[in-house]
Amino acid sequence: MNAELPNLSARESLDIIAAMIREAKGNIQRNNFYFLFWGWLVVIANLGMYTLQRIGYEYFYAIWLITLPAWAFTLYKLRAQSRSNAARSHFDRITGTLWISFGVAIFSLVVFGRLINYQLNPVILIMSAIPTVVSGVILRFRPLVIGGVTCWITGMLCFLVDTQTQPLIGAVAIIIGFLIPGYMLRSHKT
Amino acid sequence: MFKDLDPLLHSQLRLAVMSLLISVESAEFTFLRAKTNSTAGNLSVQLDKLAQAGYISIEKSFRGKRPLTTCKVKPAGIQAFEAYVSALKQYIDIPQNS
Repeated sequence: MNAELPNLSARESLDIIAAMIREAKGNIQRNNFYFLFWGWLVVIANLGMYTLQRIGYEYFYAIWLITLPAWAFTLYKLRAQSRSNAARSHFDRITGTLWISFGVAIFSLVVFGRLINYQLNPVILIMSAIPTVVSGVILRFRPLVIGGVTCWITGMLCFLVDTQTQPLIGAVAIIIGFLIPGYMLRSHKT
Repeated sequence: MFKDLDPLLHSQLRLAVMSLLISVESAEFTFLRAKTNSTAGNLSVQLDKLAQAGYISIEKSFRGKRPLTTCKVKPAGIQAFEAYVSALKQYIDIPQNS
């Protein structure tokens, strides 16, 4: 591209602006990795918790400890990713902040879980609807919006069933809310 | 009477850089070079011109041992870009076959 081009017409100027904005727009990160990674993890934890409860293991909730190394890995990967990003869009910052806030909120809920009678599955599902829907709207990716709405509906459903059945609903919610959109996002080319 | 187009923006490469920076929060030198398909030397000169006019800020740092240049658009740059686009509209509105 030349710096000085004599007689750059108005139309050519507009074409340059439009092309560059389009280039920058394609740079919105499509972080399907996190949807798949956390999706599988939470599905496994939910199904594991359900199974451990069924076989009468006392510390069935201990399965959620698998999320601790997952948090460490996620933070490490986010850090590495932010270093290798050649450009950062405004949307990247919004979605990033949204998911980090969500993570902090989940952590607080887990710490004080006893005070809400361990009704964590419904509360976390309803809360996860917010970043999922917003991510879907920002990426203009309808399956994520549908996934977020599914989290919200299944979250309410969880309040209506006994705590033993909640992990099963949680697993289904995450499959529809995170895993299916995650795989679709991976195969979706823009 | 038509408004004059900002000569600083009415150049292919500088306009491309400004259009990219308007769309993102910040961008590295390598990103700008790849998207505008320009040479490092030329891009560097044009970035300096934009920075001197107060349109963008250039931050030089290091990633490991390698130098890292990050650019951001400044409020004056946004204002100039908007003025340029609105001036451009007047030219576009001219009927083509008159």
